[in-house]
Amino acid sequence: MPGFLPYICFRGCAIGVMVSVFLAMPAQADVTVFAAVSMKNALEDISQSFQEMTGVEVTVSLAGSSILARQIEHGAPADLFISAHVAWMDRLAERGLIDDQSRFDLAGNSLVLIAPAGVWASRDLDATLPLQAMLGNGSLAMALVDAVPAGMYGKAALKSLGLWQAVHMRVAQTDNVRSALALVAIREAPLGIVYASDVFAEPEVSVVGRFDESLHPSIVYPVALIAGRNNPDASLLLAYLRGVQAHRALRKQGFKMVAVDG
Amino acid sequence: MVDWLGPQEWAAVGLSLKVSVVATLASLPFGLFVAYALARWHFPGKQLLNGLVHLPLVLPPVVTGYLLLLTFGSQGVVGHVLNDWGIVFAFRWTGAALAAAIMAFPLMVRAMRLSIEAVDTRLEQAAGTLGASPFWVFATITLPLIVPGIIAGVLLGFAKSMGEFGATITFVSNIPGQTQTVASAIYAFMQTPDGEGAAMRLVVVSIIVSMAALLISEFVSSAVARRMQDR
Repeated sequence: MPGFLPYICFRGCAIGVMVSVFLAMPAQADVTVFAAVSMKNALEDISQSFQEMTGVEVTVSLAGSSILARQIEHGAPADLFISAHVAWMDRLAERGLIDDQSRFDLAGNSLVLIAPAGVWASRDLDATLPLQAMLGNGSLAMALVDAVPAGMYGKAALKSLGLWQAVHMRVAQTDNVRSALALVAIREAPLGIVYASDVFAEPEVSVVGRFDESLHPSIVYPVALIAGRNNPDASLLLAYLRGVQAHRALRKQGFKMVAVDG
Repeated sequence: MVDWLGPQEWAAVGLSLKVSVVATLASLPFGLFVAYALARWHFPGKQLLNGLVHLPLVLPPVVTGYLLLLTFGSQGVVGHVLNDWGIVFAFRWTGAALAAAIMAFPLMVRAMRLSIEAVDTRLEQAAGTLGASPFWVFATITLPLIVPGIIAGVLLGFAKSMGEFGATITFVSNIPGQTQTVASAIYAFMQTPDGEGAAMRLVVVSIIVSMAALLISEFVSSAVARRMQDR
């Protein structure tokens, strides 16, 4: 049986090659996007139209920007990061984890006070807002106020209005902004603070008022390629995000367009 | 040592201990009853009860938390009625205790059920033929024999309650001083820019508490086992 050993080797190698090709395939064919959860609906539209156009499959991992940034710091396989706050993108930039050249501001957003549909008439949000009385025994649903961007902006806005001290013990903090939205939608929280764009995704809630932009740091969504990934499909998607079709999808979901160079 | 943790962190530690103690003690009688029923009685729907009790062990904790919110929230079927009586669970520490109790229940019942099944029923029958009432048999024969199982169940339940996170944050969210347990505080600090230090300190605290619970459980059950052998 002189040919037996080489035969085994050949079979073994062939299977090994096949397995490694198989394992490597999804990583080469896909673009993995880590995105703030408030981008959910817009990104679903964008990735679908992008896939129809290019055939490149986009996998989107949604969570609070904070947890995503931490995951990227620990080597998560993201090609592209869309943060809801410059702080988290800056943090990754400081650590050399993003490709600075690729970074730009994808969209803007504004902050609204929401209630279950039909409970409160819309009104101006100023220092006379009787937030405590409106809450009754209930809680104010917000994303984590020191970590998740929607919560950080919301805390800043309430501080500017001088309302934070009165209600900060009444804030039910959720892990991301969509969880806060859900608490209001199922009427467990009488009020919540979310992005204007989130309300587009949820018919069960209505907007009580919009926080003036001067009350909080301006809300922008920076996007950047993750350093060292060298995924051409990711660059393709980044270019697509600069284009008209992506902008249209974002605007349709209630995002604002910021002045961008491209 | 007092300065080592900030006020918010101390509050989280205190709350976790309160939630776990209340959850464990409040579910103990129910746990013992269910364990006894599953170990000894035959009744229609026994497998269904067994499945229900074990459900929190296999369901994603987020699902358990969401179901709790839908049931015991102020708009929920049960929560609505309880609300009228002034009992509120959603977004209160009592809700955290309820979530912890339900998540820990299967572990508690399992430990107690095993020890009840291990009791030699001939001892109970002998006591019965000597004229002891069923309650007296339980109190003087069965109960002392299953004490190690009860202790194991209580400490497992306590440890599980200390560590419960998914159902808690879904059901009662994360309100510092009210529903922020050690686990949810660690989660929040982990996400906060430069919150690593505080998160690490709480990690150390939770390791110490869990380790202490396990050591106490080992110590108590071996002490009980020794006393039973001496008799």
